[in-house]
This record gives sequence, C-alpha cells and structure tokens, in this order.
Amino acid sequence: MTPALRVDGLGKIYGPGTAADVAGTGPGFNRVVSPTSGGIVAAWDVSFEVGPGEALGVIGESGSGKSTVMRCICGDEDPTTGSIRLASVDGGDTDLRTLSAARRRALRVDRLAVVYQDPAEGLDLRLSAGGNVAERLTAAGWRNFGRIRERASELMLRTDVPLDRMDDPVREFSGGMRQRVQLAKALSNNPPVVLLDEPTTGLDASVAASVLDLIRDLLEELGVAAVVVSHDFSVIEMLTQRVVVMHHGRIVEAGLTDQLLEDPQHPYSQRLVGAARG
Amino acid sequence: MAEHRTAKLEVQGLHKSFVLHAVDGRRIDALNGIDLSVHTGEHVALVGSSGAGKSTLLKSVYRTYLPDSGTVTLRLATGATVELTGLEDRELVALRVREIGYVSQFLRSEPRRSVRDTVARAGRRRGLDHEASLDAAAEVLRRLGIGENLWRSYPSLLSGGEKQRVNLASGIICPPGLLLLDEPVSALDPANRESVLALIAELTSWGTTVLAVFHDLNAIERLADRVVLLSAGTVAESGRPTDVLRTLTTFEGPIA
Repeated sequence: MTPALRVDGLGKIYGPGTAADVAGTGPGFNRVVSPTSGGIVAAWDVSFEVGPGEALGVIGESGSGKSTVMRCICGDEDPTTGSIRLASVDGGDTDLRTLSAARRRALRVDRLAVVYQDPAEGLDLRLSAGGNVAERLTAAGWRNFGRIRERASELMLRTDVPLDRMDDPVREFSGGMRQRVQLAKALSNNPPVVLLDEPTTGLDASVAASVLDLIRDLLEELGVAAVVVSHDFSVIEMLTQRVVVMHHGRIVEAGLTDQLLEDPQHPYSQRLVGAARG
Repeated sequence: MAEHRTAKLEVQGLHKSFVLHAVDGRRIDALNGIDLSVHTGEHVALVGSSGAGKSTLLKSVYRTYLPDSGTVTLRLATGATVELTGLEDRELVALRVREIGYVSQFLRSEPRRSVRDTVARAGRRRGLDHEASLDAAAEVLRRLGIGENLWRSYPSLLSGGEKQRVNLASGIICPPGLLLLDEPVSALDPANRESVLALIAELTSWGTTVLAVFHDLNAIERLADRVVLLSAGTVAESGRPTDVLRTLTTFEGPIA
C-alpha cells in the first residue's frame, strides 16, 4: 500500500553548514549546534510514513525539532536534505522538493492541509469565518457562490461554529472558536493529508477538550492521513495509533502509541513518559 | 484418538525484560523463555503468583510490551500465519483491529465519548457500518447488564464494575479470533460476574480463542480448557484445570 505521506531522510540546518557538519550533534552529544560550522541542526535523518486513515504522533520536548519537521513537510521551510512524497502527487513518485514554488504552494490548497497552534497562521483574521473557508474553496476552483456558501455552512455546523456568526470577522472570535474555523478551513475540500501542530495548546482545558473531540471525530470520519505534533500525551493517546519520539533533532524511537507510553525503550523516551506520567 | 487441532497462537522462547535507564540501567527480567501454544477455540487460563509474568505475557503478545526475543505466531482468520514480534508497526495496527481483542482490568476509555458510542466505535473499527455498530453495541451492552439509562453517559462517570463491562463490551463486539483477557471480572459483583462469564463461555464455544488471567479459581474451573502455571517468567506447568489448580493449592499456597 502506498503511504499517503512518506518522508525520507529529512534534515534541516539553520545557519551555516552542510551534511558534513552534522557530526557531533544529536542525542549522543546532547547538542544541536554543529561544532564545526556553528549551524543549528534542527532535524536530521527523519523518516516516516503515514497511511490513509492513520494518525502518527510526533512527541518530544520544546526544541526537539517537531515543528521544524512539520514546516519542512508543508513547505513553510525548505529542508537541507531528504525527500517528501504524497501518494496524491504522481502516485508518490515525485519528491515535493523538486516542484516549483508555485506548484508547491498549490498543494496546500487540496493535497496537504495544515492546522497551526496559532489560528492566525492558518486564517486571515480580517475575513469572516465563512470568508476564510470560501478563500480555500475558491483557490481550489470552486466558482458557484451558492455552493461555496452551502459548504461553508455545512462546515460551521460540523465544527460547532454558530451559523449566525459565520459572517463576523474571525478576529472577533474566541481562541477556541478560531481554532474550529481553522479546522473547518483546513478540511473544507477533503485533503488526503493533514498536519496538526499543537492544535489544542494554549486553549483553556475545557475548550481544548472540545477541539480535541472535534479533531478526533473528523479524523475518524474523513479517513485522512494525519501527523499530530503535541507535547501533551493525552492528545497523542487519543488521536494517534503510532508515535515517533524526537530528541535533539533526531527520531530516537518509533512504535505503537500504547507501546511507547507503557514500554518506552530509549532512555530519553523513558524520561519523557516518566515526566508526563509521574 | 488425539484431537487434531491447529494452533491459533504459538509463543516460542519469549523473553521480555525492562531496562530502567533512570535507575542506573537496572534490568528486570519478566519473561524468561515462554513456550506456549493455544489451539483454535481453546480457552487457556494463566495462573501464578503476583509478578510471575501473567500480564506481561498478555501485553507482550499484544505488543504493548516489546519482547526482547522469541516469537509470537498468530493464525489469522484467513488461515495464514503471521509472526507478531517482528511485524511492521503499521501492519500490526491494522492486524490488531481485525484479529485481536485485548481487555485489561483497567478501563482506558476515551474521554467524553458516550458508553454506547465507545462500544460502537470498536465495532466500526472492526468493519461494521454506523447503523450496525450501534445495534451491535446495544446488544452486547444489554447482555452485560449495562442498562439503556447509562448508554449516553461518559464511561468516566460509571462505577468500576460498569466500566469494566463497557471495556469488555468494546473488546468482544464483533468477536476477534483471539481474545486476551487480563482480569476482566475483578471488579464485578456476583450477578454481573455471572453474565460476563456466561458470555465468555459462549464466545469460546463459537470458536474465539481465549488467553486469560483470572483472579478467581471458580472462573478458571468453569471456563478454561487448560491452565498454564507461570513461575518467575517461565511455564512451570500446563494441564487440565483440576490437576494444575490442585498442584497450585498444595505447593504454592493461594494464587492471586
């Protein structure tokens, strides 16, 4: 089975340095700054696959490289090395990095959606909730205004955004509601792959819970392939079947979610799970 | 004449240790070479003192624990066999859903999902459509004595015994070929315990293979075809329930 998303040997160095300067960084050296070039090896040798209907968790403490990997996959950052493939692009034969910038951006419209921790990154806060969804649908080639409005209402209903607020600018919305609109927009035209970067972080506990429930139900209904970055293990446990653990820019362990939480192997994973579980 | 039956589950030379990196890399050997074969439709009960490795064996088969060495071979519904310890994670995720049910004594239900939906969802993951999953959930919940008045509650609000039955209901909706049970009736009152045991017996009679850990001897005597005694992470004895349980009470003192 072709994975919906496949990442191979992904690496990202900020600042000076090439593959030769990676030596001396990583978990074994307890540092990410290259001793030879001074560049920051934020991620290196990161590989994984995600199938349709599957959710992969990425865990690790702040600065472990989780978000860098996400940004490289979606095109917000250009990786130093490695390849990224989508089954929906040439059946997975083409490395997305070989595509033109324009083509790459176009993928964000209907092949690869991102839900950011900060809704301001995924939304235009000046536009209305409906307008944000419409923006995505229009970019995807929808032309019939009635159909767009209908689809937007459908999504508002599904994500529990009150319909009578659909025409209000998103900047007047609460954090939880903004996050719901971001979800509605990201999923508006059924992308096969969704990246969720700390989607509930920063929300009140009760609001986070309802957003989390919504994500869970949507992933289940839509059968998308999802990558979920979170430092919150309850989020990971609820949404994902498999997990990779990142530390100092490297994947130090990969496994089934229940196995990683109950029988972590790597010293760092044990420390991470131990800290969360007490 | 010996009955000819195929092995549903074949465990060979299974070792499992835990290395505690935070405690100077201390190593705890939990399973020290388990050999065990369970036939299709057989109910095998694991007994042994606390720490003998009963739960560790169940979790190592399910691969919540990652075994160090040895093999766990499962015969699938199709008749093909698969070795689980070396199986790709992605394949194992899919295989668990289709072929293996694991019910622990602790309910790890998802937060904020109703009782009926929790069970129905397990059915949907096993391939039922939405409508059928709700019907099947209703049926199995009724069988286990969870009344309709509780179906819309969240499992976190239920009593220990109720939670345990919701847990079990999720494990046996669309019964998988292999059922791993870790003390599934430990929190139940006699009447509810009775309905759970009857249901497990019925599943076995329909061909579900069971590997179970029970606290109480009556449940074992009633349900098990065979009892396997574990001691210090190895199989110390295996035989008919009455024989093994007699040895046990004679030489080991009370189990559990």
